[in-house]
Amino acid sequence: MAASDSTSSGGWLLRRSEWALLAAILVAVVLTALVDANHSYWFQPLTSLRDIARSTAMLGIFALGASVVIIAGGIDLSAGSMIALSATVCAATMLALAPAEMVGFKPVGGAVVAAGCLASLLAGFLVGTLHTWLITAVRLPPFIATLATLVGLRSLARALATSTTAALLPTKNSQINVYDPMFKFVRDNVWIPVAVCGLLAFVTWLLLTRTVLGRHVHALGGNEQAARLAGIRTENVKWFAYCYGAMTAALAGLFYVANESVAAPAIQARGHELNAIAAAVVGGCSLSGGVGTVPGTVLGTVFLRVVIDAVSKVIKTEAEIYEGLIVGVVVVLAVTFSQVGQLAKGGRRLFPGLLGLCAIPTLALLVGGVVAMTAAPRAGITAGLAALALLVALRFWEGRQAAAARPA
Amino acid sequence: MTAAPAEPASAERAILMRGITKRFPGVVALDDVSLEVRKGELHAICGENGAGKSTLMKILSGVYRPDAGVLEIHGRPADFGGTRDAERAGVAIIHQELNLVEDLSVAANVFLGRERRTPLGLVDDRAMEAETARLLETLECRVGPRTRAGSLRVGDQQLVEIAKALSLDASILVMDEPTSALTEAESARLERTINRLRERGTTILSISHKMEEVFRLADRITVLRDGRHVRTVDRAATAPKEITGWMVGREIAEHSFHEPRPRGEPLLEVRHLTLPWPGHPRGYRLSDVSLDLHAGEIVGVAGLMGAGRTELLETIFGVSPPTWTGEIRLAGRGVRFEHPREACAAGVAMVTEDRKRLGLFPDLDVAGNVSLCSLREAVTGGFLSRSREEALVAGPLRDTGVKTPGPHASIMGLSGGNQQKCIIGRWLLTRPRILLLDDPTRGIDVGAKAELYGLIDRLCRQGMGVLLTSSELPELLTLSDRIVVLAEGRLTAEFPRGRATEHRILEAATGS
Repeated sequence: MAASDSTSSGGWLLRRSEWALLAAILVAVVLTALVDANHSYWFQPLTSLRDIARSTAMLGIFALGASVVIIAGGIDLSAGSMIALSATVCAATMLALAPAEMVGFKPVGGAVVAAGCLASLLAGFLVGTLHTWLITAVRLPPFIATLATLVGLRSLARALATSTTAALLPTKNSQINVYDPMFKFVRDNVWIPVAVCGLLAFVTWLLLTRTVLGRHVHALGGNEQAARLAGIRTENVKWFAYCYGAMTAALAGLFYVANESVAAPAIQARGHELNAIAAAVVGGCSLSGGVGTVPGTVLGTVFLRVVIDAVSKVIKTEAEIYEGLIVGVVVVLAVTFSQVGQLAKGGRRLFPGLLGLCAIPTLALLVGGVVAMTAAPRAGITAGLAALALLVALRFWEGRQAAAARPA
Repeated sequence: MTAAPAEPASAERAILMRGITKRFPGVVALDDVSLEVRKGELHAICGENGAGKSTLMKILSGVYRPDAGVLEIHGRPADFGGTRDAERAGVAIIHQELNLVEDLSVAANVFLGRERRTPLGLVDDRAMEAETARLLETLECRVGPRTRAGSLRVGDQQLVEIAKALSLDASILVMDEPTSALTEAESARLERTINRLRERGTTILSISHKMEEVFRLADRITVLRDGRHVRTVDRAATAPKEITGWMVGREIAEHSFHEPRPRGEPLLEVRHLTLPWPGHPRGYRLSDVSLDLHAGEIVGVAGLMGAGRTELLETIFGVSPPTWTGEIRLAGRGVRFEHPREACAAGVAMVTEDRKRLGLFPDLDVAGNVSLCSLREAVTGGFLSRSREEALVAGPLRDTGVKTPGPHASIMGLSGGNQQKCIIGRWLLTRPRILLLDDPTRGIDVGAKAELYGLIDRLCRQGMGVLLTSSELPELLTLSDRIVVLAEGRLTAEFPRGRATEHRILEAATGS
């Protein structure tokens, strides 16, 4: 079982797979530094570092929450919408408490900012509670419950933004601008989100590895029925996990407001919940629950952001179009590489039978197409043909290995 | 049974294995094993857990490919790429683990991957259901072919698994501990089916831990130990003691705990316990069950599959829906647990029947599995202390005699017996006064069983009260001071140790 392997393969400080991830991050950075025509990693190391640090910290905050939910054997698809809701709740609260200052681009004062932030975190707690109720009392599968809130919360946030602005401002608006200097300060000082993310990572690590609650989270994810039979109040553990997931997303939402100076529920953090899940999975969390670490999730987040940054450095124009593609490829490669050992030992084949035959041109087409669109059509054709040749060769080699493994 | 001592001609050979070797990371599961099975014989494979029996069966049925060696089926060299190849060659296997798709019907499970079709190419449910009903009837199993497989209890699921293998009409049937989850009556039915198959000339390879079963059925017996072939003998030429000796490499003392244990004050009184079963024609899972358990006493609960043994323990432990009526008194005080935590706090512990599904945490290490219910004792200043946890689990690991490379080894790397000891150790840490054991030795090898018996006896002598169920009657007879018998949710008899015999218990359990 892969799950039990990961428990026993703990090495010094990090697990083996986590060292591999760290090495992959370094390789990605070095490659980017070499391939990037502007050599921005050489000439503007601080700017590059700041960009990556900000995006990593923002993703990391709610990826940690997502990993707790995943380790507890659940899934939270609603993080992106929760971020939008949190941002809107914060902005709407401040607008309600200090409408004149908000409209007049003036500071709203510490108390109002604190009220806005607290309201956001409270919203996170409430959403987490709603999730737990839907899952444990109504008995919806977590996927369904959080799918409903994924769709529902963003809509709720938009309604909240529209109706608050309609009530408090001369014209209604689908977004609420936030100009308070405190938020500007957070935006201009990257160390703040990084410190918050680092602190949260430490707290989460402490919680998961050094507390009874954390052990119960692992037990719940590993075997829910056995956990109940061992006297664990599984509903309470789930309550904690989903609240942790939603509240970290709410916290991230505050940084989104700071970063973009606006609560724009229609588009803010759209689809980002999948990045968080991807970061957790790349970091070694198993979606069947029970398995995962904080260092893994942090490294997974860093790796994801480094690779996205690398591609944006190399492609330059409209790089954000490719972000989803990169996340997808990284997830597939990371999880595949974590199984390479088993693949080699177990005599499993990557391209078996007819399915393998059809998968080869699919992959070649994908490679060729992406290269053609990002570089030049001719390069695309060359890359596609090269990939095809490589994969065919791999399949032949696999076939011969399998034949050789057969007893005479 | 007759068995010619001379080498049989190749025409009489159903299976020939020569020099079969299979390695897994870190272990050699099979080391140069050679074996011959004659046509039409029932060949039993014996060995402790980890001896390589299951690996051998999996090679035979195409689940694994051997690293070295030759396999011949009916004189033809066989190289199976998967179970389908083996089925085509006439080999069917009944696996030790249940492999049912819980959300499909019984009939759909039996024909999974080989669905019957109508002339239009659509799935022919009617034909499959009729065929399944016929197969289940030969097994004397009263489960409808359209029942959802997941709603069946373990014993019935096992019978469906057997029906699946029978539906292949194979010339060689491999059985990997098919009776481990069956009650005596169900095993007897299976035996009748086996005898019918033998009359038709089916060759059967069977793995079993139950020595009397082996000696009742087998023509020849092969013993494996540590992945090596020890020897193959005619049944008539050997005795159970000799076989178990070869299996463990030493003679096992007959378990006897006939020294009377001092019986203490009453710990548990159950009065008129009734657990309704909405939507079932019978209407109840348990009806009017009353029993007593004293300190220092082992009370065995006998009964066929579905008689309500597990439900009885679950109701006491607070797992069942709180719809039950009647009275449960702990040391004279009426209790009504609604969550296992409450039972645990009151000094009741339960070791569940299905270790993998209901007991083990595969992702926690040995220490984590043992300390789980008493983690608070390993907390200092709000945080878990690794050293305190190690100290905490050291006691139960020693007392239960768990063999593990260390407290942080993977629990899945331990043998079934050691896993079970870990789970018992987990509950001992909660210092229970009442221990509920639901079929604790299922799928555990002979040596480990004896050790568990010793452990249970020792705990009892320390004043614990034990309520024990088992799918093996000899086990209940060995351990229990008293045996109560359940039949279809009712308590039909109670025997003190001296008066309990397999015959009487079976009579009470079948209501005859």
